[in-house]
Amino acid sequence: MIQQAAYRRRWRPTRYWLAAMIAAALFVVLVLSSVASLAIGPVPLRATLFGLPGVGFVIAATFFALRALHDHEPGIRLRDATRAAALFVVGIFLWLAVVDVYTFTQEAGPGVATACAIACVPTTAIGLLVIRRFDRNEKEPWRLVLVAALWGAVISTSLVVWAEGLWDLVFTATLVPGPAADTSAAYSAGIFEELAKGTAVVLLYLVMRDEVDDVVDGIVYGAAVGLGFNFMESVSYMTHQYAILAPVGLGAAGAAGQWYFRQVVGLFFGHATFTALIGAGIGIARQMPLISQRLLVTASGFLAAIAAHFAWDAWQAFVLVGSSSTQLLVANARYVLVIGPFAAVVLLLLVMGQHVEGRALRRHLEVEAAGGLGAVLPYEVALLMSPWQRFQARLAALGRGGPGAYLGLARLQRAQLHLAMERWHRERREIDQPLAAEEALRQHVLELRG
Amino acid sequence: MVETHDDLRPLYRIMLVLGLVSVVILASGFALLLRFAPPGQHSGYRAHITGVYAYDPATASITGSAMTRFHRDQPFAATVDWGNLPAGMLVSARWTDSLDDDVGSTQPTPVAAGRLAGENALVPVRASREFGTNLPGPYTLTVVRYARGQPVELLATARVTVLRDP
Repeated sequence: MIQQAAYRRRWRPTRYWLAAMIAAALFVVLVLSSVASLAIGPVPLRATLFGLPGVGFVIAATFFALRALHDHEPGIRLRDATRAAALFVVGIFLWLAVVDVYTFTQEAGPGVATACAIACVPTTAIGLLVIRRFDRNEKEPWRLVLVAALWGAVISTSLVVWAEGLWDLVFTATLVPGPAADTSAAYSAGIFEELAKGTAVVLLYLVMRDEVDDVVDGIVYGAAVGLGFNFMESVSYMTHQYAILAPVGLGAAGAAGQWYFRQVVGLFFGHATFTALIGAGIGIARQMPLISQRLLVTASGFLAAIAAHFAWDAWQAFVLVGSSSTQLLVANARYVLVIGPFAAVVLLLLVMGQHVEGRALRRHLEVEAAGGLGAVLPYEVALLMSPWQRFQARLAALGRGGPGAYLGLARLQRAQLHLAMERWHRERREIDQPLAAEEALRQHVLELRG
Repeated sequence: MVETHDDLRPLYRIMLVLGLVSVVILASGFALLLRFAPPGQHSGYRAHITGVYAYDPATASITGSAMTRFHRDQPFAATVDWGNLPAGMLVSARWTDSLDDDVGSTQPTPVAAGRLAGENALVPVRASREFGTNLPGPYTLTVVRYARGQPVELLATARVTVLRDP
C-alpha cells in the first residue's frame, strides 16, 4: 500500500529500464561464465545435476512468462509476469550457488566446505545485525538486507571469477612476479570485485528507491553486499588453506587463521567498508538535485571503493618480512593502517548522515504533530526520535498487551517514521506525487493507531 | 518550502574529495607498476624450460623423464636451456609453492646466464624445513631478467602440480 501510494514517480520507467538493461547484461555475462565453467572449467557433471533445481525454476519461470504473454486480463498478466520474474531470479541464484560452491570449495571437499561455511555464519550474521542497527531511525527491511548479502555472496563472486581469471591471463601472468604482478592483481581485484558488488547497490537503488532514502541506507545496503561477498570469500580461502595444509597436519589451523583474519579482524575492515563507500555515494546521489551531481558522487563512491580495495591488495607487495610474530603484528596492523582511514570516512559519513536524517525527521514529526491530524501526537516526537525510547515503549506495550501489542506498536512507529521520511523527500522535491502519497501514509498510520 | 539542500553539501564534498584522493591512490599504483615493470624492457629473448624432473638431492641430479605431477615426498627440479640466452644477461629462476612462498631459486640472484649454462644449473625445489615434504598444489617456476638490480622481464614460466597423496 505504502509503495503504491508513495512512489509513483515520473522517473520510474527510466530507472526500471536502466535496471532491466543492467540485469540483462549481467545475465549474459553469467550465462557465458557458466557455459565456460562447464566447457573448459573443472565443474563435473554431478555439480550440474545439483543445479537441476535451478534449471527447474527457470523452466517454471518460462511457463509463467509465456502464459503472461497470452493472457489478456491485465491482472492475470501482471500476476504471471511477477511469478515468472521471481522464479527466474530464484533459479539463477540456485544455479550460481551450485557453481560457486563447487568453484570455491572443490579443493577440500564438501564436508570441510560445510564446516567452514557454518563457522562463517554467526560472524556474518552479527555483521548484518550491526550494520542494520546503523540505521537508527528507520531500519531497512530484513528481506532487502538479506537479498543484498545474497547478491554479494552468489552473484558478485560468480561475476568476478572469470573476469579476474582473464585479467590474470592477459596482464598479471606476463609481468615479473613481485610488486608489479601484485599491483596488477590488486587492480584486478579492486576494479572487478567492486564493480560486481556495486552493481547490486545500483540495482537496489534503481528498483527499490523507496527503500534507499539517503546516505545511511546506502551504507547499510553496501555493507550488506560486502558482508555477503566476504562470507563466500572466507569459505573459499579457508577451504584453500585447509586443502594445502591438511596433509602436513595443519589444515584446521590454516582454516582457523583465515577465519580469524576474514571473519573477525576483517569482518568490517574489508569488503563491508569497500562496498559501504559505493553505497554512501549512491545514497548521497539519491538526494542530489542535479543529474551531474548524482553521477559525480556515484562515481566517487565507486572510485573510493576501488582505491581502498586496491590499496589493501597492493600492500602485500610491501609487507615486511621477519619473524612470524612480526608478520602476525603486521598482518593485524595492515587492517588498521590501510582500511582504517576508509572505514573512518564511512563512519564519518554515517554519523553525518544520521545527523541530517535525524534533524529532518524531527522537524517533520514536529510539523505533523502540530498539524493536529492525529498521525503523530506532540508527546510522541521525542520518543520516535530515540531508538531506546521506542524500544522501551514497545516493551511497555508487551507488558500491557503481550506480543501482539508489541508488534502493533512497532508497526505504528515504523509507519510514523515513514510518514516523516516521506515529508522530508517531498520537501526536498525528490518525489513526484507527494500529497497523495503523504495522505495515504497518514491514513495508514491512523488505521494502525486504531 | 524550506530549502534543505545545503544540509547535504558537506556529505557531497567529502565524497568528492574522497574520489579525488582515490584517483591519486590509483595513479600512484600505476606509477608503482611502471617502476617495477618499466616499459621498453622487452629483450626479445625467451628462456626455454626444457622440463621438470624427479631430483636426487644427494647427487644433485635429475632422473627419469619430464613430468608435470609429483608426489609430496618426491623432490623435483627444472632444467633450463641457459645457453639459449646471451651469456652476459643477468637472470634468476625461482620456484613458488601453492602458498606463493619462495621454495627454491638459482644462486646467487641474479647471476649471468653464461655462468648458469657453464654449470648446467638446475633449479630444484627445496622441501619445506618445517614440514619435511612439499606442500600440495600448484608450483610455479619463473625465469626473469634483471637490469639495474631489479627484475624487469619475464622470460619463461612453467607450472607443475604436487599431489595431495604422499
